[in-house]
Amino acid sequence: QLVSALHNLTRHVVYCSLTRAEDILSLFPENFHQNLKNLLTKIILENISAWRNEAQASQISLPRLVDMDWRVDIKMSSDSISRMAVPTCLLQLKIQEDVALCGNSPVVSALTVELSKETLDTMLEGLGRIRDQLSAVANK
Amino acid sequence: VSLQQFSALTEVLFRFLTEPKEVERFLTQLSDFATMNKISLGPLKNIVKSILLVPNGALKRNLSSEQVRADFIALGLSEEKASYFAEQWKVNSPTLTRLAVGQTLMINQLIDMEWKFGVTAGSSELEKVGSIFLQLKLVIKKGSQMENVYIELTLPQFYSFLHEMERVKTSLESFS
Repeated sequence: QLVSALHNLTRHVVYCSLTRAEDILSLFPENFHQNLKNLLTKIILENISAWRNEAQASQISLPRLVDMDWRVDIKMSSDSISRMAVPTCLLQLKIQEDVALCGNSPVVSALTVELSKETLDTMLEGLGRIRDQLSAVANK
Repeated sequence: VSLQQFSALTEVLFRFLTEPKEVERFLTQLSDFATMNKISLGPLKNIVKSILLVPNGALKRNLSSEQVRADFIALGLSEEKASYFAEQWKVNSPTLTRLAVGQTLMINQLIDMEWKFGVTAGSSELEKVGSIFLQLKLVIKKGSQMENVYIELTLPQFYSFLHEMERVKTSLESFS
């Protein structure tokens, strides 16, 4: 019962983003032991940002990018043409499925994608536009 | 077959080779040619089939126009016609080569990318969040099917992704 009560208290504090001692202190009932109240408040305040970050990291989301790698290959020959020198890019994205669904054993899958130079140029154009849109939003 | 007729036929052939999707147009042009020159369509189609083998083989083995000309002469075509064809070949080979390269195997080719970004307003654990996320949708061709992949990135991840992609571009350009 004690653990459950503590759990509820901390969850409430994190949910409402209470950062001031007075706010947390006001949550306790009137006749609560003074020193215990202060001790608990102090401990909660110390941990609150860590808890907040963890909650944010584990909220539901689309699959998340965890890592990426790339390499550039040169295609020399194929069944349709025996000699060429065409550079191409292989991009490997490590994607982690929704954390909330996986619990303690997150599933990470690797997706390898091939991009030609033209595709890469188009993609960079798109990424550039995203960057411009982001700075427009940030500057508002 | 006179030289004029041969050159008209060659034109039709090359137009088809450079635009292989225009099958209907090619067939219509062939039957037009047949009626104009009073040749029956059946044997014409057979001849065209064998003629088409030459440029395809030439592409696969990267033959020069000289070699194409020699091949045709060996097959029994007159010198004039063989030279004409070889000339047409030289003119069209960049396009044909590009088409052949385009047909080369690509693994999980990226076809399209869409994105949206927004702000996470709240969640069941945190009443007010206010963090920006970027969602990417990648359309990938797996074999003959399209697959949509959805990924979420944080802002720092996006910036490092952009940076890496710019490095890839530099690398690709240095090899072209």
